Amino acid sequence: MGLMTVLKKMKQKEKEMRILILGLDNAGKTTILKKYNGEPTNTIEPTLGFNIKTLDHKSYKLNVWDVGGQKSLRSYWRNYFESTDGLIWVVDSADKRRLGDCTNELHSLIEEERLAGATLLIFANKQDLPGALSSEEIKEVLQLDRIKTHHWKIIHCSAYTGENLLEGINWMVSDISARIFTLD
Amino acid sequence: MISVGTSSKMANNRTNAATSSTSSDADSEEIAEQILRKKTIISPEDVLTLPKITEGYLCTPDANVYNIDFIRFKIRDLDTGMVLFEIAKPSVVLEDNQTEGKVEETDLNSGRFVRYQFTPKFLKLKLVGATVEFTVGSKPVNKFRMIERHYFRNKLLKTFDFEFGFCIPHSKNTCEHIYKFPNLDPESIKEMIQNPFETKSDSFYFVEDRLIMHNKAEYAYNGGV
Repeated sequence: MGLMTVLKKMKQKEKEMRILILGLDNAGKTTILKKYNGEPTNTIEPTLGFNIKTLDHKSYKLNVWDVGGQKSLRSYWRNYFESTDGLIWVVDSADKRRLGDCTNELHSLIEEERLAGATLLIFANKQDLPGALSSEEIKEVLQLDRIKTHHWKIIHCSAYTGENLLEGINWMVSDISARIFTLD
Repeated sequence: MISVGTSSKMANNRTNAATSSTSSDADSEEIAEQILRKKTIISPEDVLTLPKITEGYLCTPDANVYNIDFIRFKIRDLDTGMVLFEIAKPSVVLEDNQTEGKVEETDLNSGRFVRYQFTPKFLKLKLVGATVEFTVGSKPVNKFRMIERHYFRNKLLKTFDFEFGFCIPHSKNTCEHIYKFPNLDPESIKEMIQNPFETKSDSFYFVEDRLIMHNKAEYAYNGGV
């Protein structure tokens, strides 16, 4: 049994995953995180740092980092890349004015070496709002088809109603586990 | 559980861990702590070898050069979603007043010591979420790590070891750990209820593998009995 096998088995035993949630400010990152945990989402303040949740999901232990998305905080995002297994990019589908900004930030993350192995889930959030773009439209605007380096998927959702949040995390967890926990 | 500094008006007489050291084992444990207190840098590995609750603090309050300040602590019962316990610094508004536990006393000088009073029901919980909220001063914090050890008398019940990692200067951060309560046998539960404040914890905080904060807490589960 080689060293890598031993290491993989050890990780398998713990079955831990590190997931990073990023996106522009007011995209709904913290609301999504709170919704996963059954916490009230009526009073959410801008995140001026991080929110961490460790939760059990389908026999995995997920360590989820939600880092604030304000412009002044984005230069600190790279401090959270290390060992990330999954990246959730949250988009405010109704904020058309800032979709250009959103596209640029996403594509610069994609180029980050330390995120190279991460599974990418894009949440087209705020589908409950009138005028929200569909996930198909968001996919076009964000030029997701350019992404060849990561496993990725876009899912429309509403953090407000909870629609599709579970579907998203389920896809991400199974994609990650297929990559890192199944060796044989 | 993490102790949060509060400015409660309650008494300030910190009861020192009243451990009866009769055996020679206790002497060597005492020595282990004495040796650590002489070290200028205390590492995570050092505290992980401690066999019991410490008698004193392994660092002074001014070791916290990063101005890390715990401003809220909250416990939720995940089965019912109810907030069981919440304390916060006076400047912070409580989200919910429906709490079961209360703070018995705190060390006003440093906020390093806190006593919690819970009801026996608390020991029957299955899945809880414990949230801490903290602020960070003007310096970036690297490799922020917490090691927390809970004991009943001198039996280790649980060790938490979690690395927050990097903290942004002037940030406000939260962390919720969702965990299953350790399985306690009915006899231990009875003992813990009957012996208030003999359940204790040491919380050690490290930045870049250097101890910068040490908080203590004691717990009673005989509220309403």
